[in-house]
Amino acid sequence: MLIALVAITHVFVSHFAVGGGFFLVVTERMARRRGDAELLGYCKRHSKFFALLTLVYGAITGVGIWFTIGLVSPEATSTLIHTFVWGWAIEWVFFFVEITAAILYARSWESLQAREHMIIGWIYFVAAWLSLVIINGILTFMLTPGTWPQNHDFWAGFFNPTYFPSLVARTAICLMLAGIFGYVTLPGAEGARDKVARWAALWMIAGTVILLPSLWWYFACIPRFSQLYLGGAMTGVRHAVRGGIGFTALALVLAIVCGLWKPRWMRPPVVTVMLICGLGAIGAGEYLREYLRKPWAVNSVVYANDIRSAEVEELQHKGVGATANFLLTADRTSAAYGENLFHLQCGSCHAAGGYRGMARRVDGWDADFAADILQHIHVLRGTMPPYAGNEEDRKALGAYLASLNPPWHLQITDSNRMEMGEKVFNSRCGHCHTVNGSMRPLRGAFEKQTPAQVQEAFPALAMMSSDMPAFNAPDDQAQALAFYISHEANKPLAHAPSPQEMPTGTTHSELRIQSKELR
Amino acid sequence: MQTIPIPHVDPLPLPGPVWLFTALLLAVFTLHVAAMNSALGGGLWALWNYLRGRHGKHAYSRRLANELAQMLPSFLAFTITLGVAALLFVQVLFGNFLYTSSILIGALWLMVIPLVIVAYYGYYYFFYTAEKGKGISGCILSISVCILLGIAFIFVNNMTLMMRPDRWLEMYRAHPNGWNLNLGDASVVPRYLHIVNGSLVLFSAILAHLGMRKMKADAAYGRWVAQRAALVFAICTGLQFLFGMWLLLAIPREVAMALLRDPLTGAVFGLALISVIAAMLLILLGSLAERPGPMVHAGFGLSLLTLFLMVCLRHLLRLEYLRPYANLNALNIHPQTGVIALFLVLFVGGLATVGYMLRLVARSARPSSDVAVRR
Repeated sequence: MLIALVAITHVFVSHFAVGGGFFLVVTERMARRRGDAELLGYCKRHSKFFALLTLVYGAITGVGIWFTIGLVSPEATSTLIHTFVWGWAIEWVFFFVEITAAILYARSWESLQAREHMIIGWIYFVAAWLSLVIINGILTFMLTPGTWPQNHDFWAGFFNPTYFPSLVARTAICLMLAGIFGYVTLPGAEGARDKVARWAALWMIAGTVILLPSLWWYFACIPRFSQLYLGGAMTGVRHAVRGGIGFTALALVLAIVCGLWKPRWMRPPVVTVMLICGLGAIGAGEYLREYLRKPWAVNSVVYANDIRSAEVEELQHKGVGATANFLLTADRTSAAYGENLFHLQCGSCHAAGGYRGMARRVDGWDADFAADILQHIHVLRGTMPPYAGNEEDRKALGAYLASLNPPWHLQITDSNRMEMGEKVFNSRCGHCHTVNGSMRPLRGAFEKQTPAQVQEAFPALAMMSSDMPAFNAPDDQAQALAFYISHEANKPLAHAPSPQEMPTGTTHSELRIQSKELR
Repeated sequence: MQTIPIPHVDPLPLPGPVWLFTALLLAVFTLHVAAMNSALGGGLWALWNYLRGRHGKHAYSRRLANELAQMLPSFLAFTITLGVAALLFVQVLFGNFLYTSSILIGALWLMVIPLVIVAYYGYYYFFYTAEKGKGISGCILSISVCILLGIAFIFVNNMTLMMRPDRWLEMYRAHPNGWNLNLGDASVVPRYLHIVNGSLVLFSAILAHLGMRKMKADAAYGRWVAQRAALVFAICTGLQFLFGMWLLLAIPREVAMALLRDPLTGAVFGLALISVIAAMLLILLGSLAERPGPMVHAGFGLSLLTLFLMVCLRHLLRLEYLRPYANLNALNIHPQTGVIALFLVLFVGGLATVGYMLRLVARSARPSSDVAVRR
């Protein structure tokens, strides 16, 4: 959550820092060539706003990302640092040039000759874009490390399969944001306002035109497991895709209507909506970028919970207690130990309540069921890392998860059987299955079966698939669940459910192969 | 006996030689501290002169505050830019220590980011409003300076805590949520005072140097600036000896003894002492001399040398603290030679570009008659 807040606002401002620099110097050049004092005045005012936003907020939130990733994912950060420290050092050189140029550009409108001032503007833009060229290699490496896991070669990791599509997409975003932010300092005088409104709209439109094919290219290059997340079964991904498209489309329409067609409509409320659209689209993009990488922080190397894939086997064998440095208690049977494990292994992404809160996700689970589910955690939806602990750890963590909610005492009657059955389904089955949806639908297995027949299958579930936990719900809950599944699986549908291929997570054999490679 | 928890060293090899990372760390950290001292020391100088300059009879103070207002945002910009590089290189060498201490004081460590943003915008507010001399400029500047003093305190806590793995587990168990400070470490307070006072020392040397340059346009004002700066420089250098002694007594005895016995540390320490005393004499006497320029400039140069030597001492102190837990010489190294060469070329190119831009601006700032004469 913390990373998301810092990252989204940073990405928003830092892409503007690149595109806005280009926008400023090109606009200045145009104003000087045409001898357009109004446009030049706009450039001066815009450069002041640009410097105040990018030098302060943009630069410091960039440092903020360093701070937060170091706190939340020190292992992943260390992996990136040990792989790309020289890449970052090169990016820093460009950053240093960029900051110096930005300060001088904003302050030397009166003191420098036109040509010299524009030289500084061009230096700014080139340095800013080159810093994007570098950081793009490191960011894309996290999802598509290419052949790096095999050869540990800097350039193999840097120029990875999504490097170029991502670079084009990010450059397009820079142009779009240059256009959107261009409206913030729109001149008051009608003539100048119309001119700038049309000019900024062109940047926004050009960016969008480049963005669409580059995103298509990008999604074609991402790993298979990431592509599967886009299939529609993941609610968050679905919302992010719709949000990203919606925000971008709205900003584009506003740019065309209020920028190109009727510039006098480009008033502060419209500009505010465009800024919100820009931030929303960036937020959706960042959410997707993070989600598509699950269960990894660095694909094949470090999991999202900051555990190295090469260490999982040892942790499963020896247990967390034998290897962790920081434990609140040495008593591995205590509730505090379970809570400690939760913070160590789940805390990077989940809180007990609140953000991605576990309490609502495990409502209705008992300690045994929770401990059992942990064995199969990596296959739930493919987004979770494998559980890295031994049986003792699983039991302790399972007990902690079960303690997050009071135990269920459902009063099941004939009148609420369906409702209670759905509640049990959502708690026990819904994390991996639907009945009639696209996520591992159960209709095929239970169609034409009575509630009693469905219930008879429950004890055998764990034997049907090694990925299924043992079913241990009380009888009344099992009856209600069977009733619900039978009812749903037999209700008439216009179209039969079309199962979607789901990511299956990293299997233990794959892990072993990775462990050997990384050792 | 309680085991001391040290996170393992990254299994990936170090992508360059330790000496190169150390050299880069010392170089960029020295520049970072110089910028930071200017941002903090300059802020304190600006605040004092702004408050003093509100009375009509202190026109020079008012003028100095206005001039400093134009510099403070840039000082902070370079503090951050250079700090990023220092943070990068320190992570490569001491990542497992720095990440742990940062997590232990995580709540306050994260506060640094919003605090810097507020302080930075405060400096910009002062930048735009100082000359009017009314309203809440002084108040905003005081807030920014206080925030920077607070940030320095958080940094001192983290940088001392990263060297004290023996304190980590107890601290984690007391407050696992990151609400910790390293106040149980006796070296925190003297180290903080040493750093804050040090910022006044260095910025006073910079100001004495700037005073000399200002003498060309306005001899009386330039000399006033240089003399005030020299006085503060001398007083704060004296205080710096006291805080330094306190710090030496506050660090663990075995660390202090090992440092005192080490010939390299002794040499660096001796040189730093000679350098700072010479700098103090040169700046103090120079500011009173008929032709103060050469002496003050030399004193300023020696102040920068002292800063570099103190940064080296700080590094040696960290190595000594971490000796039982870390051995940089034992790290697995696999240099990325091609990328290192590319970095060095671009580094030189970047410096040349910055130099070129500064030259463009400096040339335009020259009085037109001067330019005409040259032509």
